[in-house]
Amino acid sequence: MDVGWLERLSLFRFALLASFTAGLVCPLVGAFLWLRRTSFYGITLPQFSAAGVVLGYVVLPWWIAAVGLGGLSLDEALGDPHTIMNYLLAWAALACLAGLSALVWLGRGGRGSETGRVAAAFALATAATYVFGRLSPVGQSHVEELLHGEVLGVGSHECETIVAVLLAVLALLVVFRRELALVSFDREFARVLGKRVLALEILLHCLCTLTVAAGTIIVGPTMLFGLLVLPPLAARPFARSMGAFLLLSSAAGLLAALLGTTLSFQADLPLGAAIVAAAGLTLLPGALRRATT
Amino acid sequence: MSATPRPPLVRLSAAAFGYGARRIVEAVELELEAGRFLGIVGPNGAGKTTLFRGILGLVPPLAGTCRREPGVVFGYVPQRESLEATFPLSVREVVEMGAYHRLGRLRRPGAADLALVDEWIERVGLGARRTAPFAELSGGQRQRALLARALVTRPDVLLLDEPTSGVDRGAQEQILALLAELHRGGLAILLVSHQLALVRRFVEEVLVVADGRVWRGPPQELLAPERMELLFGAGAGAE
Repeated sequence: MDVGWLERLSLFRFALLASFTAGLVCPLVGAFLWLRRTSFYGITLPQFSAAGVVLGYVVLPWWIAAVGLGGLSLDEALGDPHTIMNYLLAWAALACLAGLSALVWLGRGGRGSETGRVAAAFALATAATYVFGRLSPVGQSHVEELLHGEVLGVGSHECETIVAVLLAVLALLVVFRRELALVSFDREFARVLGKRVLALEILLHCLCTLTVAAGTIIVGPTMLFGLLVLPPLAARPFARSMGAFLLLSSAAGLLAALLGTTLSFQADLPLGAAIVAAAGLTLLPGALRRATT
Repeated sequence: MSATPRPPLVRLSAAAFGYGARRIVEAVELELEAGRFLGIVGPNGAGKTTLFRGILGLVPPLAGTCRREPGVVFGYVPQRESLEATFPLSVREVVEMGAYHRLGRLRRPGAADLALVDEWIERVGLGARRTAPFAELSGGQRQRALLARALVTRPDVLLLDEPTSGVDRGAQEQILALLAELHRGGLAILLVSHQLALVRRFVEEVLVVADGRVWRGPPQELLAPERMELLFGAGAGAE
């Protein structure tokens, strides 16, 4: 290994740790979205979160004047990565939760076209992101970074935040995986068993919201799209049980993060996009299997 | 000293069930006692499944009352077409779901429940397929897996929605023979079916659902061929 690699690994260690954790955990959330036939939420929800982040910048001057942000002035808040990230994380989570709740509410009872609703939501959230971006008097560079999915700028605080959030999501998914699978597979049987179906669905939505909000703000919507959607698709042809499906999804995500990092460093490509491209490569074994059977 | 009679597992009184404001069945009087084997029959769209879902508590009564004895465990076998076949669940994982109301530390089933899962997988004849994906099973095998799942709940009453629909004759006989054995062991069973000949052979009593009403009686009487022809059309009684 040459020195350049070691230097890069050291320089971008926070970005890499954030990417690998996202590669490990995001596919698990994506697997549940896929099971519930809501994979496209994996594309739309990050866009809601992105709109929420940009809206957070739009209202930031007013917020500091009217509500306050730890007693900081606007310039001080913008210069304090901890404060501004926590503030934006709250906006990202709020927007994601609002979008998710709207999609679930509009789709209750199986009425209308799910695909149509998700497509319309994606279009509106994307437009809102750009409109808010135009209106925002501050944070232009961060908004542009966010929209381009620049992961390498992740610092220690962002890294700590995403790792903590995603590990908490991972722990809850592992503990509740059986009941979440039950309510996704056979909601009525769960009700007959006396399970708190609504509480379990709210838990799943909250885990999804946390993952998407933290993921969007730190690794960007592009990488999040890819890690939520592609690894579960890569895992499905080889999974003969739920346990195997979750493990393979996570393994495919981690493999994509490793391959993507290598690709990014070798070919000097943006890290987020390289990880998504690598996640695309993990689809090949399944496609080959289907073609030959 | 005589034993105190056990209260009915489910008691419906002047109950009406439906969707929105629309009543599908009404004025239902029913007591489901422990150890009984009841069939629910009726023409398509008459409200069999609505009544069944009402008994399970999946739809609330629009009128009257539906009282389920506290602590009664329902073993529910849904129509297998209602389940998503692409789910990557193994047979064992599906059957294990029957123990999810008794999860222990860290939301894991206990050793006794896991042993019960294996026991029921064997008893329904799926021992060799326990690690196979549920989606790869035949219709009859899926039905048996769902029956095993319901039995893992350790039910007081087993409720089955069209368990023999779309299943070949051999599998139908296997399923019904198992139900008869369970009934002999004292389990209460409520079965929705459109297969009158099968229902007539196995159940003690039938609930006939037609024109929004429910009649209860012995199968020899309520499922007599001339009566069935009136309800279901020509040829039904000979089915």
